[in-house]
Amino acid sequence: MENFKIIDSRGSACPGPITDLARAYRNSKVGDLLEIWATDKGVRADTQAWAAKTGNEILEVKEDQEKIVIKIKINKR
Amino acid sequence: MKKVLIIGGGGGGLILANHLDTNEYDVTVVDKSDLHFYQPWFLYIAFKGSKRKISRPIGSLLKPGVHFVQDEISAINLDERKVYGTRKGIYTYDYLAIATGTTPDPDAIPGLRQIYDEYGDYHTNVWNSEKLWSHISKFKGGTIAIGQSSATCKCPPSLLEGAFLLEERLRSIGLKEKTKIVFFTPFARAYSAEPMNKVVEPFVKERGIEVMPFFDVDTIDVEHKTIASLEGDSLNYDLPIIVPPCKGTKIKIIPETVQDEDRFIKADKKYMKINGYEDAFAIGDCNTLPTSKTGVTAHLEAMAVSEIIQGRYAEFDGRINCPFDTAYGKATFVIADYNNPVVPYPPTKTKHMMKMSMARIYWMTLMGTADPIFEQFFNHTKPEKLNKKFAATE
Ligand SMILES: Cc1cc2nc3c(=O)[nH]c(=O)nc-3n(C[C@H](O)[C@H](O)[C@H](O)COP(=O)(O)OP(=O)(O)OC[C@H]3O[C@@H](n4cnc5c(N)ncnc54)[C@H](O)[C@@H]3O)c2cc1C
Repeated sequence: MENFKIIDSRGSACPGPITDLARAYRNSKVGDLLEIWATDKGVRADTQAWAAKTGNEILEVKEDQEKIVIKIKINKR
Repeated sequence: MKKVLIIGGGGGGLILANHLDTNEYDVTVVDKSDLHFYQPWFLYIAFKGSKRKISRPIGSLLKPGVHFVQDEISAINLDERKVYGTRKGIYTYDYLAIATGTTPDPDAIPGLRQIYDEYGDYHTNVWNSEKLWSHISKFKGGTIAIGQSSATCKCPPSLLEGAFLLEERLRSIGLKEKTKIVFFTPFARAYSAEPMNKVVEPFVKERGIEVMPFFDVDTIDVEHKTIASLEGDSLNYDLPIIVPPCKGTKIKIIPETVQDEDRFIKADKKYMKINGYEDAFAIGDCNTLPTSKTGVTAHLEAMAVSEIIQGRYAEFDGRINCPFDTAYGKATFVIADYNNPVVPYPPTKTKHMMKMSMARIYWMTLMGTADPIFEQFFNHTKPEKLNKKFAATE
């Protein structure tokens, strides 16, 4: 069964949202959808570099007043 | 008198206990060990062979009136307010604080157990640091693979500090030319937070430390001395220095929904209250707060919880302040909070002296006698102030 998981990293500046993403990746399966919430601006570039490296897909990047939301589909594990 | 039960006599547990009024509260600290260790020094045992004594009996670090019981807790029922010890039976409480730190899990990665048992590491205990030092002392040249094997780790700067201290050591004994140091990390760069990476990256380059980013350890082939990553890369080593995955507590907690998949305890990020409970807190490394797992955060969280238990308003603002030894006598601090990004704070000799003197005043910080110094320091080094000065000049 595929899962949908929200990773709430708001407030995390160090080590930063990518820590939570890497952790969720380890515990994920192909087909899972992850949604990362962050306030740290570095999350956009880091998630993009991470997706390129791991072969996973960024479905959407949104930003509102209080958070940046990035939707990711796990295609490779 | 209301009963406060604190599980764990590490930094978080002791600071909480020492800040509660024992005339008003019946305070008990339970720890499976009778000793408290100054963990930042594991680095200097592993990479410099330091013989400094870094433990003290927990009982001697508690103020008069606080009880200490040596017992290992196996289960907690938050709904019944009951805590089960393996040796001394059942404990009850009015307020509970869990401060059990992290648990190393070398069995989570195939091949790692053998390396952990043979080589030790610089992150888990004194004996493992001594073991690693004995391998470093015998090392004659080759490739050293050094890094963390899970994204969650205590004290984020300490990983790269290890590589810096290792390089300094090898250069000082003339082995640098015969050695390749490869620092692997699950993050995008040598130091995860970009502003601090900008500060330390020049040292990484200048000292010839090779970085393998996005390298999340998947399996280790001990026979062929290769580490494979989840991302599909591989790395050969002659000497492996691998910090094992950090997990939460082994204690069985009811309801189990308060723990995440790695057994860290879910607590709210300002008040450290365990999700759904007003009378139970998770402090320091054992919780899921979106901040670094460090002694300083455990300290500040404990201070806030002591106020909350005693009926006064307080909140934790996510402040981190991790000393970062960049070797060759200099250091910096990684400073940020929930609302402010990491400061690109340059390394200096003074900051190195501050880091070294912490090993002495640490014991005072546990007792609360260094509170005024710390309050001043934290006020002078607020991330928003420092960012104006250092981030603006970039
Ligand atoms: C190499 C290294 C360098 C570091 N450098 C720094 C630094 O420079 N600055 C900084 O701020 N932080 C640093 N840290 C991090 C810091 O040491 C920890 O974050 C801090 O000790 C966390 O405190 P704690 O109270 O949450 O947990 P701990 O101090 O780990 O204490 C947990 C306690 O709980 C007890 N316990 C666990 N399970 C049970 C149980 N079931 N029953 C009873 N008792 C139990 C343990 O015996 C232990 O005494 C470093 C860590 C390492 C490893």
